[in-house]
Amino acid sequence: MKRIIIADDSETARMFIKRCLQIIGLGDVEIIEAEHGKEALAAAKSQPTDLLLTDLNMPVMDGETLVKWVKASPKLCDLPVIVITSAGNPAKEAHLLELGAHRVLNKPVSPPVMMDALADFIED
Amino acid sequence: MVEHNAIYQAMINAACQTLENMAFTEVLEHFDPSYEIPTDDLGWTSMLIHDPVQAELRLAMPLSLMKSLASSMFALDEEEVTEGQMQDILNELLNTIAGLFMTNLLADDQEYQLGLPELGTDELPKVDADTIVWKLMTSDEAPMQIFAVGASLLALSEKKL
Repeated sequence: MKRIIIADDSETARMFIKRCLQIIGLGDVEIIEAEHGKEALAAAKSQPTDLLLTDLNMPVMDGETLVKWVKASPKLCDLPVIVITSAGNPAKEAHLLELGAHRVLNKPVSPPVMMDALADFIED
Repeated sequence: MVEHNAIYQAMINAACQTLENMAFTEVLEHFDPSYEIPTDDLGWTSMLIHDPVQAELRLAMPLSLMKSLASSMFALDEEEVTEGQMQDILNELLNTIAGLFMTNLLADDQEYQLGLPELGTDELPKVDADTIVWKLMTSDEAPMQIFAVGASLLALSEKKL
């Protein structure tokens, strides 16, 4: 069973992403919820993970720092990371992609946008 | 209160898109521009815009609407909705609206920086000359209001960044 980590300090945002995943046919996956980047990082290190969806603005460890840590880790560097943020703009998006994020999506994410972003993941 | 068309429409679009995508709720301008949400039934939250202008955004709505949205979004009966969930929805709605608002308002290559939402604990601050107010309602006529406060934000309508 695929394992997806959702990192966002908002329960609402996490619920919304889970709903999107269900709508696009990814309801039968193991979903781990984290309230910040440090929690997400620990979860990713604890068990094999297939995808990390993260917000940007979070306490303790924000999304940008999380991307850096994931991509710097020999164990996690191949983990696809998709950033879902309300604070996105082309410059920020380019920076996150340079850091190694797979995609950057702007909130609110619609199911078709999520489907497109996760196309490779769904096919696998 | 001051109205500036570009700013005004940017927020209308942001609010509509957010409520529609996140809560499957249609939002439109309130038919009564003088309507005020009763203070004893009101929840609100605010967040700061740090850059490229310094301003504050606030989102206010009746507690009953917060509960209704939470019930819908969390797929719970209204009796099961917790205060924490209601507050979290309010914060996340403003967080999302604010991001879309700034994206709509600024040029494509213009960066911006937002703060984090903070729940309001006291009375909603009074409106002054540097405040724009959006009086909205859902298709069920439940009111919600958005406020933007800050002279430098208002000045955006006169100055290109």
